[in-house]
Amino acid sequence: MIWFLLALHVVVVVALSFVGRHLGRRSLWLAAVPMAATAAWSATRLGSAEVVTAGFEWVPGLDVTIEFRVNAMGALLSTLVSGIGALVCVYAVGYFSAGAASMGRFAATLLAFSTAMVGLVWADSVWTLFIFWELTSITSFLLVGFKHADPVARTAARRALVITAAGGLSLLAGFVLFVDAAGTTRLSEITPITGSTATAAAILILVAAATKSAQFPFHVWLPGAMAAPTPVSAYLHSATMVKAGVILVAVIAPAFQDTEVWKPLGLSFGLATMLWGAIGALRHVDAKLILAWGTVSQLGLLITLLALGTPKATFAAISILVAHAVFKAALFMVVGEVDVRAGTRNINELSGLRRAMPITFVVAVISGASMAGIPPLLGFPTKEAAIEAALGLSGAEFWIVGGLIIGGSVLTVAYTTRLLIGMFASGEPMPEREVAPRRPAMSAPEAVLAAASVLGFVALGWVTGVVRPAVVTVAPKAEVYSLLRWPGLTDAFITSLVIVAFGLLIGALLARRHVVSGPTARGAANVDWTIDGVGRLARQVAARVQHGSLPLYLATTVLVVCVASVPFVGEIDTDTLYWWDNWAEAVLVVMIVTAAISATKVSSRLGAALVLGAVGFSVAGLFVAYGAPDLVLTQLLVETVIVVGFVVGLGRLATKFPTPTRLWLAGRLVIAGAMGTAVAVALAGSAGNTVGDAPIRELAETAQTDGGGKNVVNVILTDTRALDTFGEVIVLMVVAVGILNLSTRRGRTRPTAVAAPPAPAPPDPAPALVEAVDEVAR
Amino acid sequence: MIARTSPIVSLAVRAVTPIALVVAAYVLFAGHNQPGGGFAAGLMLGAVIVLRTVAGIQQPRSATVWLSVGGVIAGLVAIAPLLWGEPLLDQVVVTWDVPVLGTVKTGSALLFDLGVVAIVVGLVLAVLDGLDATSLVDRDRTPAPASGRSGDAATPDDRGASA
Repeated sequence: MIWFLLALHVVVVVALSFVGRHLGRRSLWLAAVPMAATAAWSATRLGSAEVVTAGFEWVPGLDVTIEFRVNAMGALLSTLVSGIGALVCVYAVGYFSAGAASMGRFAATLLAFSTAMVGLVWADSVWTLFIFWELTSITSFLLVGFKHADPVARTAARRALVITAAGGLSLLAGFVLFVDAAGTTRLSEITPITGSTATAAAILILVAAATKSAQFPFHVWLPGAMAAPTPVSAYLHSATMVKAGVILVAVIAPAFQDTEVWKPLGLSFGLATMLWGAIGALRHVDAKLILAWGTVSQLGLLITLLALGTPKATFAAISILVAHAVFKAALFMVVGEVDVRAGTRNINELSGLRRAMPITFVVAVISGASMAGIPPLLGFPTKEAAIEAALGLSGAEFWIVGGLIIGGSVLTVAYTTRLLIGMFASGEPMPEREVAPRRPAMSAPEAVLAAASVLGFVALGWVTGVVRPAVVTVAPKAEVYSLLRWPGLTDAFITSLVIVAFGLLIGALLARRHVVSGPTARGAANVDWTIDGVGRLARQVAARVQHGSLPLYLATTVLVVCVASVPFVGEIDTDTLYWWDNWAEAVLVVMIVTAAISATKVSSRLGAALVLGAVGFSVAGLFVAYGAPDLVLTQLLVETVIVVGFVVGLGRLATKFPTPTRLWLAGRLVIAGAMGTAVAVALAGSAGNTVGDAPIRELAETAQTDGGGKNVVNVILTDTRALDTFGEVIVLMVVAVGILNLSTRRGRTRPTAVAAPPAPAPPDPAPALVEAVDEVAR
Repeated sequence: MIARTSPIVSLAVRAVTPIALVVAAYVLFAGHNQPGGGFAAGLMLGAVIVLRTVAGIQQPRSATVWLSVGGVIAGLVAIAPLLWGEPLLDQVVVTWDVPVLGTVKTGSALLFDLGVVAIVVGLVLAVLDGLDATSLVDRDRTPAPASGRSGDAATPDDRGASA
């Protein structure tokens, strides 16, 4: 079933990328099919103790395997990922207008992302997890940059990719160390590990999780990623991708719990992110950015709870993860609908939308209240579990971590209140005619998610029965915990009441205060500056190194050869050197030297080409003298082609060489002399240094039996070392394609530049690349 | 350009072409037991093409077709053994009796060599294309304003605009 569902995803992705352009918005319905199927299958496995596995060995020697394992945790997460994914597809049908462009591409990318995410949550081998982790980075890059004509979206996508891909490298390094320390690649076989390797692995993996889950200071990419269409934000930046880091921390925490760095580092990431995210959410006026910063804050809370490592905290974290996916996706959808129908997301410009958009208003209030942790909604018992876990701490941990979690919760209530008041309550109600009509495809998924928040509370026993087995897979001691509908007048409940009261108060006060515009994203600007700086530096270095002067390139090559030949000087054994085997060689060498010298003296270009040919043919003669007919044949043919080819090329050049200056002449003499000496030294050095018997006898024997040929050289080429030949042939192809490319570019670009008026440049996703190629071509 | 001034060269190249093709085929087949092989055969064909281009008999065209055909052949021959569980590039030797030639022994290496031939020919064509040999021939046939002009390597671009 695992293979079937993954294959279904892939098939639909491929199909959409071919036929999607003809389907328009209908491709979104098609994309929803695999997601719905996966969600349905996962739902049947929710809370099940039975485990479904699938896998195969990918690289046998390296123990790299593709392994999937759907246990209670995997099923819970894939139900969320695919279920919300299917809802987002439906929502997107309403979100995009009928004539929206590139819907096929959008649907295909969204589904590809969903595939990667499902693979990630099902992965059992760390290598499988890594591959799907990277796939989510790449697909999310494409989704954030969906509006690629917009420079803001492009920059945001690049920023997100650079940060998450850097995290991916960190993850790879961390996994290598982890496998070394733990002795297994299976996540299901994790045992606690300690030691310096484990510590390094813990740091690297935590950093990777922090980049993906937008932890401070890596969070800067997430608000920028709001440049994506809102369905993408609702899916990636609330429910799924940003949770990848949290999930990773959850499943791998049992291994690192005993290392010294795991908890402090995780707590620092989590607490800093929770507070900074909540503060950010209070400062912005764009409703989508408020939600984005709120998400950053919630992710901080999740990481904090998981880093605490107590079974209670882990239980709370997974419960909140579920509740958060439901309410945050709904809230993003609400903001998207407000944006589409009212034409703005700025809470200063929005006002009193509760009249004009009643359904949206109800959804927003339910989901917002769930986020704030107000009963009777799913968010309440999960938040209770978190506060319970925080109050269960002792000593300094209680004061610092517990205090900050409670403080963060107050801020959460505050920014939720501010957002809801800003959009739906404050000021004069917007006239209904200024609000576009309702689109059912948007309202339906919102309503489903809001209903889930309510029903989750009503059927809390079922939710516990689903979440608890999942938590038990990573923290067996969590078996005793349940989500409680009515905890009684416990400390936690009273704390909750205080939190909500304070939060409402602060939120209401802040909603009255008029903020003109949100803070500028300084962190993001710094990241962009760094990325651009690297590009600028590379361009400068390239301009220096790739100066375009052929003589200088040649001189550089010669210099390297000279330096490389220096070690051979000591290897020369004068006893092994002798003048010749055969007097014909002496004659040929005289011919070669004469021809080579005259090549530097002839003033006519054609003459020089012919003299160079003479050198080549004389070398072929040397091969004859040594009895190497294969080399002779090849050398003769190569020389022929080159000489005649020169004639073709010379047709475009002046018949005479330009007269060189005296200095340049001397320079060329030095370069040529150095090259000759270096090669001679290297050859003499290696000739006197043979190791072992020549393999000719063995090769000659196997040539007939294995290769079935009498020509040993050719059997080596086509059989014994056929892979080398294959590689060389590919090099030839690459060279040929390069030549073709350069010549066609030259032919194509220049005339338009001269004759035609400059055409409007098409939207180009990578103008820098084109420029770079242009520079090289020149 | 040579073609215009020297019908002898043109005629000689035309006369040599079929002979060279036969020799190239021979070299290709002989490679198994005697000097020769795909690279040599490809170069021989390449030499013929270069000569014909210089003589103005033909224009170097469809480098990409040769390259891709060669790449596909070599690639398929390389991968095919994997289908039978053999290592990459493992070769199969076939022996059979042919009426005139007697017993012929050949193998998948010959196919691989055919791919090499195509790639080498493609490379030669690509280089000729890169040197703009096409327009060299064209210019000789049409009265070109730029004929007799002695440009330099740095300014071969105006030809693109005038073509």
